[in-house]
Amino acid sequence: MTTIAFPTLISRPTSYTGLWSWIGTVDHKRIGTLYGVTAFLYFLVGGIEALIIRGQLAQADNDLVSPEVFNQLFTMHGTTMVFLVVMPMSAAFFNWMVPLMIGARDVAFPRLNAFSYWSFLFGSIFLNLSFFLGGAPDAGWFGYANLTGSTYSPGDGVTFWALGLSILGVASLAASFNFVVTILNMRAPGMSLMKMPVFIWMALVTSVLMALAMPVIAVALVQLALDRVWDTNFFNPLAGGDPVLWQHLFWLFGHPEVYILILPAMGIVSEVLPVYSRKPLFGYPAVVFAGAVIGFMGWFVWSHHMFTVGLGPAANSAFAISTMLIAVPTGVKIFNWVGTIYGGKLRLDTSMLFSLGFIAMFIIGGLSGVTHASPPTDAQQQDTYYIVAHFHYVLFGGAILGLFAGGYYWWPKMTGKRLGETLGKWHFWVMLIGFNITFGPMHWLGLNGMPRRIATYAEDLGWETSNAIASAGAMLIAIGVLIFIINVIRTIRSTQEAEDDPWDGRTLEWSIPSPPPVYNFAVVPQVKSLDDFWYQKHPELLHDERGEHADSTEHAAEEAHTGGSIHLPGMSYYPFIVALGMTLGVAGFMEVYVEIPGTGGQFPWLSAIGIVIGMFGIMGWTFEPVSEEGGH
Amino acid sequence: MNPRRFLPQARPRIAFLIPVVPVILAACNKGDAQSTFGTNGPIADTQADLFIFIFWIAAVVFVLVEGALIYSVIRFRRRGNDDGSLPAQIHGNNKLEVIWTIVPVIILAAIAVPTIITIYDQDGPPSDQGPVLDVTVRAHQWWWEVEYPGEDVVTANEIHIPVGQWVNFTLHSDDVLHSFWVPKLAGKLDIIPGDVRELAMRADDAGFYFGQCAEFCGEAHAKMRFRVKADEPEEFQAWLDSMRRPPVELVSSDAIAGETLYAQNCSSCHSNNTWQGPNARNERTRLAGLRTAFLGDIEGTVVYPAPNLTHFGTRETLGAGLIELNQANLEKWIADPDDVKEGNRMKDLATPYRNRSLSTDDVRQLAAYLLELKPVAADAVIDTDDGATGGSAVERGAAVFTANGCSGCHSTGDTRIVGPGLAGLSSRGDDAYIRESITAPNAVIVEGYPPSVMPSTFGTTLPPDQIDDLIAYLKSL
Repeated sequence: MTTIAFPTLISRPTSYTGLWSWIGTVDHKRIGTLYGVTAFLYFLVGGIEALIIRGQLAQADNDLVSPEVFNQLFTMHGTTMVFLVVMPMSAAFFNWMVPLMIGARDVAFPRLNAFSYWSFLFGSIFLNLSFFLGGAPDAGWFGYANLTGSTYSPGDGVTFWALGLSILGVASLAASFNFVVTILNMRAPGMSLMKMPVFIWMALVTSVLMALAMPVIAVALVQLALDRVWDTNFFNPLAGGDPVLWQHLFWLFGHPEVYILILPAMGIVSEVLPVYSRKPLFGYPAVVFAGAVIGFMGWFVWSHHMFTVGLGPAANSAFAISTMLIAVPTGVKIFNWVGTIYGGKLRLDTSMLFSLGFIAMFIIGGLSGVTHASPPTDAQQQDTYYIVAHFHYVLFGGAILGLFAGGYYWWPKMTGKRLGETLGKWHFWVMLIGFNITFGPMHWLGLNGMPRRIATYAEDLGWETSNAIASAGAMLIAIGVLIFIINVIRTIRSTQEAEDDPWDGRTLEWSIPSPPPVYNFAVVPQVKSLDDFWYQKHPELLHDERGEHADSTEHAAEEAHTGGSIHLPGMSYYPFIVALGMTLGVAGFMEVYVEIPGTGGQFPWLSAIGIVIGMFGIMGWTFEPVSEEGGH
Repeated sequence: MNPRRFLPQARPRIAFLIPVVPVILAACNKGDAQSTFGTNGPIADTQADLFIFIFWIAAVVFVLVEGALIYSVIRFRRRGNDDGSLPAQIHGNNKLEVIWTIVPVIILAAIAVPTIITIYDQDGPPSDQGPVLDVTVRAHQWWWEVEYPGEDVVTANEIHIPVGQWVNFTLHSDDVLHSFWVPKLAGKLDIIPGDVRELAMRADDAGFYFGQCAEFCGEAHAKMRFRVKADEPEEFQAWLDSMRRPPVELVSSDAIAGETLYAQNCSSCHSNNTWQGPNARNERTRLAGLRTAFLGDIEGTVVYPAPNLTHFGTRETLGAGLIELNQANLEKWIADPDDVKEGNRMKDLATPYRNRSLSTDDVRQLAAYLLELKPVAADAVIDTDDGATGGSAVERGAAVFTANGCSGCHSTGDTRIVGPGLAGLSSRGDDAYIRESITAPNAVIVEGYPPSVMPSTFGTTLPPDQIDDLIAYLKSL
């Protein structure tokens, strides 16, 4: 094959340390770290927004913030926690753990992976710039039309929201393609689909969901942006547009999105429980199948967010039934998790506590979900604090606790040091108690008639005590997060190094050094069974329990290789450049124009700069060899 | 095919599904005005019963599953004397897994059946329980307009309904999404701009029920409240009749002064004369005209429809169910509506606020006037003279000018309010020009004024003789 000569536009970074090495990195582990750190910073931002919200609602007729600011805060709290915290934090774990757990040296498309991260970072910065450029979006994270139209939301906030989420959608799409291909194509020899760890299964289901759901919201966001910037009428009822169309598109994305948020945490918990119980996952095929079924059925329940829209009794009945049915695979998962710990020898380390907390809280969220799967009862609950309580039990009690479980579990693998157990347990208990004090009373508030998204409430409605308690609980959650931060700082400063396999793990990532070398696996592992590493350590079990032939000597025959002969993709600045160009190009839609002298026309200079930068990056990317040592 | 025919009439029967009504839940909440428990009508009753039925099932599942979890954690935690051996390596149990797949299906089916029966049962008012009262509710940012079709009655934010009779609410929105919710009477239903929704309910007890918009609708969403006043049927009829009687004679000097201020400052957006009957229909058209003006979306001259204030003094609350209606609160509201309800349109858009033209005295007089807006007693001699029939053409025209809110936008001097001042109008054109400006205001737009602001509906809402009187009056200025 002839090599096309193309001038090197920007030479690759060569050093593996320093700022430029991070900007040019294509290493899935470094990108995972970038995702994790960024998502945690946004967790603090979203948390501060939540604390101000709770401060405002702590008492009746409060005026800590104006309704205008309050509406921005709850909009950005929801948007931030969904798009800038839970999704990228899951992406952080996918990035770190998918290659390590399937025995690969990187993801399928390392530069696309870097592009995903930079698009996410720039999109999120763009979204949050709105706070300083005329006001953040204030129409809710669900952005219901036609309140989002330029007539009713005349500022730039909602445009920032529509365009910012579009950029984040590109990041998610790129990441989802990458992980689907990585998981399907790059598993170590012998790792058939049903020998994949459950976390990898959930990463696969999540990525498929993202690849299918993101285009739906992308369509809706483009229509919204066009309605706002160029006065189209997709959602404008006065010109024949349909505000309910937005709701269908949003929730057709939004409900799979719920599973995009929760399935990674379910995958983490499915890894943690067996390790700390010293038992295999109870009913692995059922847990995997339940996850896949949830991912599939997640597409048939969206209108349960719209039971009070008035779609008619037939639609409400159908979506009630499909919604109730999705509780079945969810229940199967919970029962199998309980089956996993039943009969085990549980080591109640922090990661295990968070996983158990996840199950306990998710049960509550699941059961309250069943109460509003019934449209007549939902008619009283929809858009009240009962719903707020429900989804926080699922997304905080579920996703966030699950992600913390993953953090404590994989921290030694990722950094080579263990997070402190004592502070970790304080972190868990303070956060769990604070969480229940915050969100438990909200069930009550909702049933007692308190609507969501109200900036204030009168004192004659019997809501004051519960709100005061909830606000106090929020402070406790904040203290829990502080304890975690202190724990992280102390761990970073500590010199005590973690073992390669501190928890007696079951999956491949524990078979390599902590932190892993840049090439991950010196020798690509040969996989014989599910939980392969565990059976390498306990070959007698494989024979005993499964009746399968275990050839442990083959596993042991690892030769000492160095990284020198391993082909790894070279670093590249182009993903960063393309992401930057795309973000600037999209930002130009905020009517960043300059008058063209003498013509009366306007020139979108920012978009033009973005397009030039983006095209430059794409050209460079296209002709850049994969690595310096040969290229293919 | 109506699926309802194949389903049993479940409203009374569903009660059998609930062996125990949780006394605790219901009792401690009877007093809370927006609670979904301690309900007062069949729709909300059934919804609460169904919730409690599901709640108990969920409670049992909760105790069993959390119990199994906690038991397992305590029973199987690793102890200090652990010998390091592995526990039994159980990979699964097909029989158990099938059981815990099927049992939830059965439980959920038990929930689904009464759910679907209730969905169909609550779809519209029952046909066999007497006549249904139609009430039209039109949601606005951030208040509620209430109309009784066929009754020529329009009011706002306080919805009177009769006890024991099914009411079918027809729900409209002129701006964004809202949701109509009176927890004690029925679950909510969203209101979709450009579409119509219907929600049936019945109040079984007389009372003043709290309602609130439940769909986020912008800045003052939190304060878009309302009340439903369920009266005994004869009281309700008396109220309906009273809304068609003229107001009592103003008594206090403040109120008399306030009437003029009202005509000058308030009447272009707020009507208070729908007791006149036929004009109640005009009210609707008038608001349509205002909406057209608003939708024209002309910067700075947006005119919003505003709450109807007919017999305002009989209401119990102010600001869309926010605060008690009395002189002090009303003065506070008129002086600075934003202080009571941040974001409301009046402060932003109404001329007197933009010009800061209301003095403290004005505020007091306006409040006094509004509080005296009450209907005459049923047995009073009804004076049908609304000022538009007696006297000279100029006098009658002046009354038309005031009653139709012209003075809200047009001064009778030279000053520009929203529209041009009208002094010396006869020198600007002949009768035909003035008539055209009233009936087709967009035909000629004076330079410097935006089009489509003035309602173009006066040609249809004003009788020809009133237009003649109006022209006579305008020429006299």
